[in-house]
Amino acid sequence: MDPAVLVPAADVIPASWGWFYVLLLATFLLHLLLMNAMLGGGIITLISLFRKTEQDRLLCREFSYKWPYTIAFAVNFGVAPLLFLQVLYGQFIYTSSVLIAAWWLSIIAMLILAYYAAYLYDFKFDRLGEPGVFVALFAVALMLLIAFMFTNNMTLMLQPERWLAYFGNSNGTLLNLTDPSVIPRYLHFIIGAVAVAGLYLALIGHFGWRKSRVDPAALISKGMRYFTLATALQLIVGTWFLIALPREIMMIFMGGSVLGTGLLVIGLLLTLAVLHFGYRQRLIVTCSLTLVLMIIMVLMRDLVRTAYLQPYFSLGDLEVATQYSPLIFFLVVLVGGLALIAYMIKLALNCGKEVTK
Amino acid sequence: MNYPVWELTTYGGGFLIALIAIVHVFVAHFAVGGGLFLVAMENKAYQEEDKGLLDYVKKHSKFFLLLTMVFGGMTGVGIWWIISLVSPGATSALIHIFVFGWAAEWVFFLAEIIALFIYFYTFGKMDRQNHMRVGMIYFFCAWMSLFLINGIIGFMLTPGGWSDNQNFWSGFFNPSFWPSLVFRTGLALTMCGVFGFVTGAYIKDAALRQKIMRTCAGWVVLPFILMAAGGWWYLKALPEPQRTMIMEKSPELTAYLSTMFWFMPLLFVAALVMTIRLPNNLQKVFAFGVVAIAFVYFGAFEFVREGGRRPFVLYNYMYSNQIPVSAAPDIMQAGFLKSGRWTNFDSATDENLKDVGHELFKFQCSSCHAIDGPLNDIRPLVKKYDNVFGMDSKLNGLGTMSPYMPPFIGSRSERWALATYLVGEINQQPETEGLYNLDMGNTAVATVELPVEIPAFDKNRDEYVLLAWSPLGMRELSDADKYWHIQRPDSAIHAQLVRRGDSPQRVIDGVEIRYQIDNAPGSSASQLLATDKSGVMAADVDRYLFYADGIPVVPYTDTGEVNPYPLFTVTAIDTESGDVLATTRTTVPVSTEMGCKNCHGGGWKVDAKTGISDATAMDVLAVHDRISGTDLVQRAEHGEILDCDSCHSRTSDDHSTSPSLLNLSAAIHGWHANFLTERDGAQACISCHAARPDGATHFHREHHAAFMDCTHCHGTMEEHALSLLKQEQQAGKAGAEVLMANLRSNVDGVDTINPRQPWSQQPDCLNCHDFFDVGMSMDAFNNWNDPEEELFRNRQDLMGVMMCQACHGSTHALYPADNKYGSTRDNLQPRQYQGNDRPIGNDCTVCHTVAKEFEGHHPNSLRQ
Repeated sequence: MDPAVLVPAADVIPASWGWFYVLLLATFLLHLLLMNAMLGGGIITLISLFRKTEQDRLLCREFSYKWPYTIAFAVNFGVAPLLFLQVLYGQFIYTSSVLIAAWWLSIIAMLILAYYAAYLYDFKFDRLGEPGVFVALFAVALMLLIAFMFTNNMTLMLQPERWLAYFGNSNGTLLNLTDPSVIPRYLHFIIGAVAVAGLYLALIGHFGWRKSRVDPAALISKGMRYFTLATALQLIVGTWFLIALPREIMMIFMGGSVLGTGLLVIGLLLTLAVLHFGYRQRLIVTCSLTLVLMIIMVLMRDLVRTAYLQPYFSLGDLEVATQYSPLIFFLVVLVGGLALIAYMIKLALNCGKEVTK
Repeated sequence: MNYPVWELTTYGGGFLIALIAIVHVFVAHFAVGGGLFLVAMENKAYQEEDKGLLDYVKKHSKFFLLLTMVFGGMTGVGIWWIISLVSPGATSALIHIFVFGWAAEWVFFLAEIIALFIYFYTFGKMDRQNHMRVGMIYFFCAWMSLFLINGIIGFMLTPGGWSDNQNFWSGFFNPSFWPSLVFRTGLALTMCGVFGFVTGAYIKDAALRQKIMRTCAGWVVLPFILMAAGGWWYLKALPEPQRTMIMEKSPELTAYLSTMFWFMPLLFVAALVMTIRLPNNLQKVFAFGVVAIAFVYFGAFEFVREGGRRPFVLYNYMYSNQIPVSAAPDIMQAGFLKSGRWTNFDSATDENLKDVGHELFKFQCSSCHAIDGPLNDIRPLVKKYDNVFGMDSKLNGLGTMSPYMPPFIGSRSERWALATYLVGEINQQPETEGLYNLDMGNTAVATVELPVEIPAFDKNRDEYVLLAWSPLGMRELSDADKYWHIQRPDSAIHAQLVRRGDSPQRVIDGVEIRYQIDNAPGSSASQLLATDKSGVMAADVDRYLFYADGIPVVPYTDTGEVNPYPLFTVTAIDTESGDVLATTRTTVPVSTEMGCKNCHGGGWKVDAKTGISDATAMDVLAVHDRISGTDLVQRAEHGEILDCDSCHSRTSDDHSTSPSLLNLSAAIHGWHANFLTERDGAQACISCHAARPDGATHFHREHHAAFMDCTHCHGTMEEHALSLLKQEQQAGKAGAEVLMANLRSNVDGVDTINPRQPWSQQPDCLNCHDFFDVGMSMDAFNNWNDPEEELFRNRQDLMGVMMCQACHGSTHALYPADNKYGSTRDNLQPRQYQGNDRPIGNDCTVCHTVAKEFEGHHPNSLRQ
């Protein structure tokens, strides 16, 4: 059977695909940052819990205050890119989601449990004491599982040829386990999350956003160390990920395409640069360059997606029936919403300090 | 069809959507109203400088944060998750049509989160006015989320102008938008009082607790008015089809509707009860009780709203099973398997029927029906279908006679495959020829040759010829005696007596014609009362016709055997001398082989081949109750024996019953025709009537049966129904058009079908036998006798002396007839008088002692 037959017909989009493309990549980048802070912070917390020094304990306490926020915002900023992904690639993502439906739906239950666990960890940090490690472990394990489901779906949606498995199992319990790129891709994201969360903790120390008695210098130094180690590890995992891609897709970054190769080269150089500055604990430079690096990686990720789907679909295929007024409405709401948010943050900052409970 | 289907079986049928959606919207409405509640209570605390109250508000805000942001927020994402898994096509449509609506909603969601975090974490730290301002911003953003989602949800039920112009705003500000917004805003405010009871009940200070309880009761009671008014407006604003779907047509919505109408006032009363000073423990229990009442009420409302869209997931745009309405006609033409992307098979064949059926169930049924699950379980719904024919016919009527369901969208063979799966796999019916046979009507029964003794006739000596017959070729009757009668036992015998001679004379005076049921062993001993077993026939002097009406013959012998053709001996006696002038015998055909059980379940009543069982009878009533809102089951259970014709008259112009209702023939054929469309030959006819050639009765037993079936004279099931319905339509009966709406004709078109009265108008014999000539056509349909005297059983020859049936035999049993209970059983008189099976007069000398050369009775009557 020709897998192309399986690809559902796409729905009409109400504005040129470029709008959704920009919104997708932009909101995905924000989601990625928040998700990294949430998951990577959780992993660092777990590691710190085993180290048992006072500063490590205080790092955990500090992160416990931030954890519920980051979950809320990681989820909220996950909604937007998923929305735009469904607009541009709905016929792929809905299909792959149905194939792994049971796992995919379990994300919601896991998310609720992880979220409540994070609140428990925050609100009852002192009362929990040592056994708090299990609460954190529980939440992190769930988040790792959720991430695994995401990696599965994001890779499965790109490969209609793997959808044929549906004819042997329509119970929604499939996973994309035979795809050699799934494990390195997953590890690439998890380790990346630890790196970015390291920077997040360092930034907390740097800007004095802390609420616990953690030593800012220690927080910065620990954060930068997590960042540097994780990023160094990425050199190996990233390479594994690259060579695990189908050859024709890998070659995009190995001379096959100027854009792809250029992005990889810039990405590698930036990686070396952030390792350098990270090792030297140059926080702001490292953060700035990492942000650029992440933009590069988001673009590379998009090239991979486009290449996977190339035999089946390209964004230009989408039929457009333009209606501007809803788009304008959204932009007005976005601007108004951001203004409202800015106003509220101003009020919050002016109010002085936060309350712990 | 575009997307694969997640096969959920037990938790299919929308269970997961319902579960996630209802808990989410319950909390989400609280999340909207709760914002205003928090600010108002905070303000009250400041005004009254009530520290206790302020502490309560702060505690309540933590509860609010944990419930609405974590559970409410995540289950909100959960709804998106589950609808995209269960209804990906519809989700994709909603996402694409309203992407900027969703995107705007996301902005409000973000602002909402930030506002709530700031509100919660700065409680007691921020300037009071600013803090309350943040709270109000939260409320505004939350309400705007409601505003936006309300438009999109409303679109699903009432797309309004969008259907024509595909404009975002036409779909968004759809006909139910504003009433729904008012209703939901009222509901959202009510919910804050409901949840306020829960946190309030845990306040230790009794005075403060009581104050909170009373305030919360106010929050339930006052917005209640807004909610009730919005609800009423909502119902009024619904377009007629959606409203009738909710109020009348969708069978299981009744339970949700009544739950909603009971729990709404109950919630009001429960809130008032909470104002009473109760022991604290009781208050805690009651607080959760109020939450439970609100939950049930809200859940029922959501079920009703969802139900109103049936059979669509997006009204008039996409069916609940994800098939776009616009694609359905092409799929019906090409077949679902060929049109679907995710199907395992290309076509249904005899070998793969169950597998294909399973596939079709997955794609067309599973979105609404679970297998062994809590929601819309398919098993009880199809339990009564013990054969594929009945199941297939039920599927045939989906979308038309079951308007709450989509039609079956596929080819004829695919529908059969689905029916086979439902009967074979879901119902686990063993595979026997009868149950799985495509052509199945009633049950096949072996031919029996019952002995018949033919009365003697001596052409040289006998002076009289006695001709006797049943005016109906078959009296079909229902034997669901305990519950209802569509036709009570009511047979008749007609007879004419001829004195033989050169110029034979009909005799009406001075003779008595007696009839007596035949008690010969192996023949028939019908279960008649002694008084009905014999009698004297009355005389119709004008037509020289003797008749006996109202003989309650049933097709069962005293010993319970089935014999649809009991014999009667008819004797002419000289009233003066008492001498027997002539004797003959005739069958009085009667059958209970009505195939109700083919679709209504319950099996045959007698001997596995005929009769209406109690289960069948009750199901017929239950379906009637469900469709027409009657209470027949209840009445029957209380011992009332119902006669169909007590409401549905026998003829169109009989106004003695319920004049607005369709006459019985039009109603029963019109209704069932919608389940029996496009059937080959007489398949539709023989699935109800006792006409299956190898069935227990085979009433169409005349020589025409060798080359014609029911449809040649009566039309197809649809045409037959249309002819009856048109008569009713012309009489101004509203029900006719509903039943006619989906019926088609093989003739030139529905417009060309001529209306007719049941019973008194039938296809005229002369349609084919032009001026009594040999038939040159086999198309007798659509030209009805008028007046009633021209009806075959009432008609006389051209001389106006002999009844047509006297010489030709009964309708459907014209000589020579081949009766499956004995080859001579219907040809007794030709055998007796002529020694052959031809119509009487084939040998003129039966009556005319001198053979005639002139065709006096009608042209072609001397044909050898």
